[in-house]
Amino acid sequence: MAIFLSAHGYDPGPTQRPLIAGALSGVIATVPAVAILHLFGSLGVEASILRISELITIAAGVPLMALAGAVYGYVFGRAANDVRGGWLFGMAFGFALWAGGAVMVLPLASGGQTPAGEAAIGLILSLVAWGAALGAVHPFIHRPLHESIESAAKRSEVGPSAAASKNGHGPRRDLTSPREFP
Amino acid sequence: MLRIVAYRKAILAGAGGALVWEAVLRTLMLLGFHSFDIVRELGTLALPDGTAAEWWPAGIAAHAAVGAIWALFYAYFFWARFDWPPALQGLAFAALPAALAALLIYPQLRLMHMRQDVTQLDWRMFLTGLEQTRLGGLLLGHALFGLTVGAIYTHPVGYPATRKCSTPPNSRRPPNYNGTRVPADGRFIFATGIECSYPTTEHGRWRRDEMAATGHYRRWREDFELAREVGVTHIRYGPPLHLIFTGPGQYDWQWSDEPLQELERFGPEPIIDLCHFGVPTWLENFQNPEIADALAEYAGAFAKRYPWVRFYTPVNEMYVCARMSALDGRWNEELCDEGAFVRAVVNLASASIHMTSTILAARPDAVLINSESSEFYQPCCPDDDIQQTAKFENERRFLPLDLIYSHDVSPHMRDHLREQGVDDEQFAWFMASKPPRRTVLGLDYYEWNERLVSGDRRARALGELFGWYVIASQYWERYRRTLMHTETNRADAGDASRWLWRQWHNVQLLRSTGVPIIGFTWYSLTDQIDWNRGIEKPLGIIDPVGLFDLNRDPREVGLSYKHLIDAHRDRAGYRDCKAVKEVIG
Repeated sequence: MAIFLSAHGYDPGPTQRPLIAGALSGVIATVPAVAILHLFGSLGVEASILRISELITIAAGVPLMALAGAVYGYVFGRAANDVRGGWLFGMAFGFALWAGGAVMVLPLASGGQTPAGEAAIGLILSLVAWGAALGAVHPFIHRPLHESIESAAKRSEVGPSAAASKNGHGPRRDLTSPREFP
Repeated sequence: MLRIVAYRKAILAGAGGALVWEAVLRTLMLLGFHSFDIVRELGTLALPDGTAAEWWPAGIAAHAAVGAIWALFYAYFFWARFDWPPALQGLAFAALPAALAALLIYPQLRLMHMRQDVTQLDWRMFLTGLEQTRLGGLLLGHALFGLTVGAIYTHPVGYPATRKCSTPPNSRRPPNYNGTRVPADGRFIFATGIECSYPTTEHGRWRRDEMAATGHYRRWREDFELAREVGVTHIRYGPPLHLIFTGPGQYDWQWSDEPLQELERFGPEPIIDLCHFGVPTWLENFQNPEIADALAEYAGAFAKRYPWVRFYTPVNEMYVCARMSALDGRWNEELCDEGAFVRAVVNLASASIHMTSTILAARPDAVLINSESSEFYQPCCPDDDIQQTAKFENERRFLPLDLIYSHDVSPHMRDHLREQGVDDEQFAWFMASKPPRRTVLGLDYYEWNERLVSGDRRARALGELFGWYVIASQYWERYRRTLMHTETNRADAGDASRWLWRQWHNVQLLRSTGVPIIGFTWYSLTDQIDWNRGIEKPLGIIDPVGLFDLNRDPREVGLSYKHLIDAHRDRAGYRDCKAVKEVIG
């Protein structure tokens, strides 16, 4: 997926601030996630497995989700700004976090204890919902954080010196467009 | 944005895949096959004590929703990555959800079905997995799902040629009174364009519509604002001929009225592309000799409706259009025939001349910019056949321009035209129709415009061998007409800024030799769709060549272009450009 993203020029845009936009979106997305955790009783179960209070679980979760959001903004780059597809990319990211975090790391950190029953359902739903919310809000968070075109266009690297190759080796892509004569 | 995704189609494909899975597996289970029952697993999560009549609807609804999400994922990340039959692509993709289901979801479902909140994890749950028959059902179900999704999800962009596009220009964005149109006043032209190609493919059955695919019909107001923000003075703009010109004497101007009203008030100044690689379905294709009169009628009607428009491109890239349609067999008539190519060239050139006349009848001081692809063929080696092929191609590239500019061709080319059915009377008509004074030769240039004729007589893209300066000089020497650089871009977004500045230096160098050049263009404002494959197949793959991506976020080249314009527009020689003044004066 990462190759696919970079191959099409989906690196974060030159005026974009992907880390801060992702982190803010990640924090905002914890609201529905915590609500689902609470609804299914997963929050209490998680806290008991980790042997900490629910409040501390939430307090520890928010910066983690901010970090995860920043990673999302960085990895998905331009794609994260897509209003139509953002929720889906975020949902996929949330699912990956569930598979890596809740399924793998949590049992390892707690000596093999893991949520089951409704708590387990709440856990997957909350992370998928977190991802969907992250992806859905990111395009709207990132817009006001953009650097203006006016100021970004004054940077020296986009000026005449750009005519020289960045790495001294010319174009990066091979040209293949054979055409056969009749 | 990663791909252009047809949401409804993907959701239908995913839900359809889930239903096919259920229909086949349920039948097998009723016949006694012991299978993994995903609908029951999901249904009983919601209703653990429910009867079959209760859990089945919940289970199938959940499975259809999951299927739709997977199908959207397929559409964004997997579709068209391989040049395989669609159903096979879906089948290959299904390996991913199948592996996740077997290794991750199935053990987790067992945890979720427990009637306790916490359990001590037994790692054997992951290792033992499914028993063989249940695993067989799961794999069969995913295979059916993948085949169904693959078979249904095709053609994410475009629409049947006989059906009308259902989304007329409708910007929800309120007007932003930022800017004023500055009519041509002698300034050097810094332009961009809205990509607007609309050829048909699949033997006339499928209509490509780049303005629809790039979201311009929804976001036109935003697009114009972005163009103003970059600082361009002009915008190449092609209202959709196939949607406006609905029949002889019949026009549906809702496709152009509002956007042109906005351009008239706030700019940038439009250079109107009247025919861009396609014709309305009722005119069939470029083999039809009636297109000349029909398009002339359209051009006249357009010029009368928008009398303030001064810059026109009657027919865009006639050589490319004829080549792709009648020689390479990719668009419209989809022929691979020399005679068909010549017919298309003659019809297009004739259309261009007639359109010019009707435009000038309505707007006598109109400026006609004949945009054409600047091409060059380099023979690879001294082999006579290869030398002859390159020589012929290097003459054929000029053919449409020779006809509209009344430039005589070589005896060899004249014989060739005669063999392909262009009689002396028809040829004489072209040679007698002198082009108007305010005519500009627009030259487009891309990294594939210079080609190597290799030993197997195939043409391979050479990249920038001699560059626009040399190629444009050849066109200048032949026609001695005022020039404009009318298109360029770079498929590698990371190299686009470098390309932009290098093209600009080519333009400056040619100007410095005294060649009258009125403008420069980065094409286009936003990324394009499927141009990396000549828009031959409706795949929805984004070509990242725009000043902005399809989210309308700037690319680096967008910043570079603004930098370039800001640095030059008020300088002597650009603020008052002699070549522009001569053309508009």
